[in-house]
Amino acid sequence: MDYIVKFAEGFINLFQTGADTFIDWMTSIVPLVLMLLIAMNTIIQLIGEERINVIAQKSAKNPFLRYLVLPFLGSFMLANPMVHSLGRFLPERYKPSYFASAAQFAHTSNGIFPHINPAELFIYLGIAQGIQELGLPMTDLAVRYLLVGLVMNFIGGWVTDFTTSYIEKQQNVKLSKEVKVEG
Amino acid sequence: MAERAKIVKGSGGFGGPLTIGVDGKRDKLMYVTGGHKPAIVDKICDITGATPVNGFETSVPEEEIMAAVIDCGGTLRCGIYPQKGIPTINIMATGKSGPLRQYITEDIYVSNVDVDQVSVAGTESESTSVKETQAEEKQPEQQATYSRDKKIMETRAEQENKSILTRIGLAAGKVINTFYQASRDAVETMLHTVIPFMGFVALLIGIIQGSGIGDLFANVMSPLAGNIWGLMAIGFICSLPFLSPLLGPGGVIGQVLGTLIGVEIGKGNIPPNLALPALFAINTQNAADFIPVGLGLAEAETKTIEVGVPSVLYSRFLNGVPRVFVAWLASFGLYK
Repeated sequence: MDYIVKFAEGFINLFQTGADTFIDWMTSIVPLVLMLLIAMNTIIQLIGEERINVIAQKSAKNPFLRYLVLPFLGSFMLANPMVHSLGRFLPERYKPSYFASAAQFAHTSNGIFPHINPAELFIYLGIAQGIQELGLPMTDLAVRYLLVGLVMNFIGGWVTDFTTSYIEKQQNVKLSKEVKVEG
Repeated sequence: MAERAKIVKGSGGFGGPLTIGVDGKRDKLMYVTGGHKPAIVDKICDITGATPVNGFETSVPEEEIMAAVIDCGGTLRCGIYPQKGIPTINIMATGKSGPLRQYITEDIYVSNVDVDQVSVAGTESESTSVKETQAEEKQPEQQATYSRDKKIMETRAEQENKSILTRIGLAAGKVINTFYQASRDAVETMLHTVIPFMGFVALLIGIIQGSGIGDLFANVMSPLAGNIWGLMAIGFICSLPFLSPLLGPGGVIGQVLGTLIGVEIGKGNIPPNLALPALFAINTQNAADFIPVGLGLAEAETKTIEVGVPSVLYSRFLNGVPRVFVAWLASFGLYK
């Protein structure tokens, strides 16, 4: 009999632990993320997509603008997945590289700006909640995540330029380096 | 001209595309937009040959309305014309909302429309015909100053010479509407994407911690995630080009791995400064499944997608392990 009671208690305990964790997050993470989301949504609406499109058009020439400034601004302003739509202002040749770096910015910037990719917040939060549990500040981690991301995502985009050349040779095609924007 | 106009939604908008044109008696384009006449009204009228009517000044029998242009941020007006079967064009980005939200459907409603979203559809294409609504009694053709679907502020706004107070009121209204819409979008995101995942992860944590599986995982994970070489191994495995597209979808694998490592950090089995390289290690497959869609969003040609998919997979592989290593270097001094 005792054995059954113990088992039932243990079983309920699994969910009680889960429920405590959930409520802890509902009172700490949810309000904070919600406020950030509202503020970011508002800023984005007020600034407008038009302005970011202009920046995108001007970023095609320089790899630094193309794989660092534009993907970061794009993920901040348009969030995931619309950040990828800015690639249309770049020549075909650079679209894979832009994608490579923009997709990574949607994660490395997410620690500080959760509006960028709320659906995949737990890649960051999963690890960060361990830090929180230890009573250490999560922001330190988020800032370093962002900064390392800035450098490494740029390199990621730039390296993709080389892998694209490699695949071009392999498949014997040549992608255009001229910008073609319709409409 | 008597062509049909095609109207698509603007960025962040909802619904559409609508194709509208003059249809027999229905030749009036009514605009109910805070007193001013939006540029799209002229454009649609140029294309279709419809007569613009300021809904604030005159009321038009419903059976003569071709379409309605509104600027509603999410209260009653969004739904009132769709409910009557009148195609509705909202110049604000409001989606399905308000008490009449069930009538706001993609075949009769389009939002965040500006001049660029309006184009000529060609005469032959099929129209979004105005749905007949039965039993909807005709609105009496009232000439009243205040009507039921206008707010007092909006009725004021119809006046040609707006006072400064009215202007301030309208500007404030726009800012408040933007905040309100942003808030609605944010709550939607929280409810439909963040909180469900939170529930799932919280349960996972409960099971890991409460059952003793946690200790088992700790034994497996600690040697792997507890030092930089193990993390680089995780990064290497996740970035393998034949594996990464399978690990990508929804970021689920990364999120579960993150949670597992997070639990171990919380328990003190993994030093907290390794959180940074761990973030990079569990996500070297980042978006590998999404490459064709992402390139599609960038309006890439088929050829580019054929080249781009292997190219990004290779670059993820080349970058994966170095990213983890650099993150480890950058983690010196963190939480010490």
